[in-house]
Amino acid sequence: MSDALRFELSKALVAAGFVLYLPANILPVMTITIAGQVDSLTVVGGVMELYDGGLVPVAAVVFLASVLLPALKLVLLLWMLLLHGTEIRRERRMALHAFLERIGTWAMIDIFLLSILAAVGQLGILASVQAENGALFFGAMIICTIYAAGIYKPYMIWQDPTPEHQSL
Amino acid sequence: MQAAWALATAGLLLLVLANTHPIMVFSVAGNIQENLIITGVESLWQEGYSLLAALVFFSAIAAPFLYLGGLWYVAMCLCLRVRLPGLASVLRITETLESWNLMPVFAIACIVSVVKLRTLGTVSWESGAAWILIASVVTLFAVQFFDRKQAELFVEGAG
Repeated sequence: MSDALRFELSKALVAAGFVLYLPANILPVMTITIAGQVDSLTVVGGVMELYDGGLVPVAAVVFLASVLLPALKLVLLLWMLLLHGTEIRRERRMALHAFLERIGTWAMIDIFLLSILAAVGQLGILASVQAENGALFFGAMIICTIYAAGIYKPYMIWQDPTPEHQSL
Repeated sequence: MQAAWALATAGLLLLVLANTHPIMVFSVAGNIQENLIITGVESLWQEGYSLLAALVFFSAIAAPFLYLGGLWYVAMCLCLRVRLPGLASVLRITETLESWNLMPVFAIACIVSVVKLRTLGTVSWESGAAWILIASVVTLFAVQFFDRKQAELFVEGAG
C-alpha cells in the first residue's frame, strides 16, 4: 500500500468515524427486559443508570472508555491528519500516535458488556437483554478509529509536503 | 526471551481455562444462566446480530489466542535458534494483532456487567473470571519480556 493511499484511507476512516459517532450515541444499544419491564438504553443511558445506582467509579470507567475516548480519539486523529506534511509539532504528533494506538481498543468495553449481558437473554421471558442497532454503529465506529490510527504509520509524520498531501 | 516464551506458554494454557470455565452465574427467580465468553457470542448470533457476534468472537477469543500463539512461536524460534517456516509472517501478524489483544478490556467489561446484573438478579463470580484476569496479567508480562528488536533482527538473519 502506498503512503498516499494510506493517508487517503486514514482520512476516509476518520470521516466515517465522525459520521457513525452520532447514531452510535443516539440509538439504543440494548433493550433490557426484566419481569415485563422494558428498558431501552443508549451508551450514555447505560452510564446514567450506573451513576443513578450509586456506582460512580464504574459509571466513570464506562463513560471514559465508551463516550469520551472515541470522541477524543476522532478529534486527535483529525488534528494529526490535518498537520500531515507540515513541520508543526512533529514530536508531539509521534507521541500522540503511540498514545492513540495504546488506547485504541478500550472502547470495545461496551461491545463486550453487551455480549456478556446478551447471554442473559437466554433466560427467556423472565429476563432478556436484546442487542439494538446502535451497537452496530458503535462497533463500526470503533473499528474505523482503530484502523484510521493503524493505517497511518508514524514515519509518515516526517514526510515532506507533496502536492497530493496538501489538500485535506 | 526465555521468560517471554515461558510466559506465553502459561498464557496460552490460561486462555484455554478462561474460555472453558464459566465467568459468572446469573439467576432470576430460580432460572440459572452460566456465562462463558462464547455464550455472549452465541446470543448475539441468535438475535441476528451476526456482525457483532463476529466482532466479539474475533476480539475476545480468536485474537488473544492468535496473538499469544504468534508470540510463543517467535519466542520459541529465538530461544532454540531455529528458523521454522513462516517465522517472518508470524512476527508480522503478531505485530498487527497487538492492538487487538483485548483480554484486559474484557476483564473490565466483566466487572461492569456483574455490577449491572446485580440490579437485575443474583450474580456470582465463577472461576472463569479469575482465569481471564490472570491470563491478561501473564500476557502483559509476556509482551514486556518479548524483545521485538531482537526478534526482528533474528528474522532478518542478522541476529
